[in-house]
Amino acid sequence: MTTLAHRRLDAHALELLVIDAPNVSSALTDDHRRSLSARFRAVATVGHRRLDAWSVEQAGRTTKGFAWSPRTARRIIGNAAVARAEGQPGLTLIDAVRDEVTDQLLRATSGYSRTGSLAHWLASAPNPVIGLVSAEALNWAIQLRELAETVSSPWKVAGSDSYYDVASARTTLRGRRDLVVAHEGTRVVVRVRSGAPGKSAGPGLRADLTVDTLADPLGVAPARLIGLWPDAGVCLSVDGSMDDLRAGARDLVRTAVAQRRTLTALAA
Amino acid sequence: MTTLLDSPAPSVVEALRGERRRRPLADRASSSGLRAQLEDGIFEVTAGHRPAAPIVIRTSSLRVAPLTTDLASSSLGRLRGVLLIELLRLASVGFQVESPFDDALDAWRCQSSSGAVADGLERLNRDEVARLATDVEAHWTTLRRALGTVPGPWLPRSALRVSQHLGGGDVVLADTVDLMLGSTNTDVASVTLLDVTTSPLGDGAERALRFHALVQTLRTGVVPLRSSAFSSATGELWVRDVDRELLQRGVRDVLEALGRLWRNP
Repeated sequence: MTTLAHRRLDAHALELLVIDAPNVSSALTDDHRRSLSARFRAVATVGHRRLDAWSVEQAGRTTKGFAWSPRTARRIIGNAAVARAEGQPGLTLIDAVRDEVTDQLLRATSGYSRTGSLAHWLASAPNPVIGLVSAEALNWAIQLRELAETVSSPWKVAGSDSYYDVASARTTLRGRRDLVVAHEGTRVVVRVRSGAPGKSAGPGLRADLTVDTLADPLGVAPARLIGLWPDAGVCLSVDGSMDDLRAGARDLVRTAVAQRRTLTALAA
Repeated sequence: MTTLLDSPAPSVVEALRGERRRRPLADRASSSGLRAQLEDGIFEVTAGHRPAAPIVIRTSSLRVAPLTTDLASSSLGRLRGVLLIELLRLASVGFQVESPFDDALDAWRCQSSSGAVADGLERLNRDEVARLATDVEAHWTTLRRALGTVPGPWLPRSALRVSQHLGGGDVVLADTVDLMLGSTNTDVASVTLLDVTTSPLGDGAERALRFHALVQTLRTGVVPLRSSAFSSATGELWVRDVDRELLQRGVRDVLEALGRLWRNP
């Protein structure tokens, strides 16, 4: 049975979801990992396969290629700005965003950025675009910190998304995460999305839960994974139960199968 | 009669925030009641029937009668409004705008290269582009002078797209707030909303103020401090403290708009 829950995102929702999180989490063993790997290996792929919550929600349908824009850049810069501001008391978020943008530009100038990276795109963008990236990143950073400040337990901004390479299956799984809250010896993972949740938001959340568990060195699941949609004032949550982990893994494998079917149809 | 002021007039940002000690406590209780009123009203309008597609209510849906001679709804007017908001966004993060039209175009094109507004821009001839550039510059000059500096600690957020699903998802309140200041986490009300328009302020602006305040209250559960509108055509600023009466009128506006859309989809 799934533990997926849906509620309005009011001022106390996040705190209550953290406090109510179960104290015991499930864990994935080496047998689970081997079994998942075998299932992915059974779904043939020509190139390297990348799956995430978005591809699960889209049922493996191909979407148009990724391109940098102020909206796609805002999460990276915004999250880094919140982390920077937390590390330097007195630093305002707007200054933290400016510092992050400057760091990206310096990275491009010093030659450490590769083609297609955010730093590379920013370095070639006109000044007003950089200004707009800062405005979008500031929107994101303020929103994230406003949400985090409603939680009384210690929290930190996730340094990166969680990644898991499935052994011998040419498959990389990516789990989205923005905040990690420590609560009574367990971790609660929070991810923030713009817009409003669709009908497949639940499977997407479970996919993120499974990937975050797989990416953990000991295979311990987060006590709860919380998805926030502040634009719509809605939040969903799912507990780190074995049922939800299995459902998440199943959805990821199904997405791989759907992707292969789509590609086969396109090739024909 | 000419009146000389002893001190410069307060900027838009200063007028919005006002004095901290005069702010009321944050109202976190009204949101649920407003939502219940809306849900009841929606049920009365739809009589339990479900529309084929969700009914989306925006500020433009609140107009009592469609306007045919409104300059803002013309192609040039829409473009001017879109470009001015880009400049407002740049100003909110302290960006120094040197060439208003070119900067606004650069900012807008990096995020939107298709759609009705983009098509409208492509169709303009050289004279119309020159007129648009002059218009944008004039409106920007008015806005820049009035706006003042936006301090970073006031948490400026720009072009916020928000929505609220009501009636089981059959009715969607969709809104975009041009500039928002303040935090919802403070004990006193501190969130202020600003709507910038290139048209003169009228009844539509009043309804927009109420709509912004209502959607923000439903979304965050906290009643904002003020809702305001600024016209870059006249330099006029309307500021309203958000209270129970304003929110109730906002609810009535939404239900009336829903009634119209339900009868004439």
